[in-house]
Amino acid sequence: MNGASRLARRLVPVVGIVLVAFFVVLAVSKPRGEAEVSSPLIGNPAPAVQSTIIGGGDFDLARRKGSWVVLNFFNSTCVPCRNEHPELIKFADEQTSLADGAELFTVVNDDSDEAVSAFFNEKGGDWDKVRDPDGTIAVAFGVAKVPETWVIDPSGFVRMRVAGEVTASLLSTRIAAMRDMLNGLGS
Amino acid sequence: MKRLKGRLAWSMMGVLAAVLLAFGATRSSGPSTQEERIDAISKRLACPTCNGESIYVSRASAAESIRNEIARQVAAGQRVDDEIVAYIESRFPGSLLLPPGEGVDSLVWILPVVALVCGFGGLVVVFRKWKREGDVQANADDAGVVAAALRDYEDPTEGL
Repeated sequence: MNGASRLARRLVPVVGIVLVAFFVVLAVSKPRGEAEVSSPLIGNPAPAVQSTIIGGGDFDLARRKGSWVVLNFFNSTCVPCRNEHPELIKFADEQTSLADGAELFTVVNDDSDEAVSAFFNEKGGDWDKVRDPDGTIAVAFGVAKVPETWVIDPSGFVRMRVAGEVTASLLSTRIAAMRDMLNGLGS
Repeated sequence: MKRLKGRLAWSMMGVLAAVLLAFGATRSSGPSTQEERIDAISKRLACPTCNGESIYVSRASAAESIRNEIARQVAAGQRVDDEIVAYIESRFPGSLLLPPGEGVDSLVWILPVVALVCGFGGLVVVFRKWKREGDVQANADDAGVVAAALRDYEDPTEGL
């Protein structure tokens, strides 16, 4: 037996082990879901956002001070956006029942008024949809892919960023915790 | 005297090259149009959703949004190019296509220059060494070897 074939015989089990390990990792890894990610904006004042709302009206983020604001960057053709929609409806319903509930806004990302309206008419969700026709709001927040969800506190400071699909429980729990923390600081 | 003149000429050429390089690196290219500024800034930034494409080249939605923002800021005229790039970089960390000339990143710019200088210096040393070896004078032993060879050539049958 020459050296090359001996080496090949030794390599076969190593390659086999690596392949098996690879498939095991693939099988047990969870699909990418919600992920709270960092941003230079967190802890800083939110960028100025002024735009219009589908169906009529203006939107100015500065005028929402005093309320917790949740901005959800959305596109009606994006699958994770469609997947998370029931969670957003659940979250909006929960917040409506609270005295100081958060306000939810959809920021339309690279999509038409008609497509967005058709989606919401079919799937539900009666919160305001803010236009972002040239992507100014997305760039101001550093949003490259949708969905992304941002939480802004009543003082106008950015508190949280979630990339990917979000759940109602994550938003509610985190906002409640931050609300308690800020109330504790104020008292 | 001749060697001194040669060195003087090389020194002058070196100084001239350094002055021209410094001038080229620091001179202002003058005012450019808004479109040229937008293009120049777009070429300095990477598209955040695509691999290896600049904002200038990419047709992705995010790249288009960033291009729009660059155009808006250029039109507003409140920021210079570097400030606009810094703004985009602050929103999309890691979007700079060219590394800044600070810290460890500056090695990207320094190392090629160091390599060039070392290479040039090495060539000078080698050429000088070769030149010195070319100046070797024949001694008495060398002359003896040549004389013996000439004798053999004049009478190749001698000794047969």
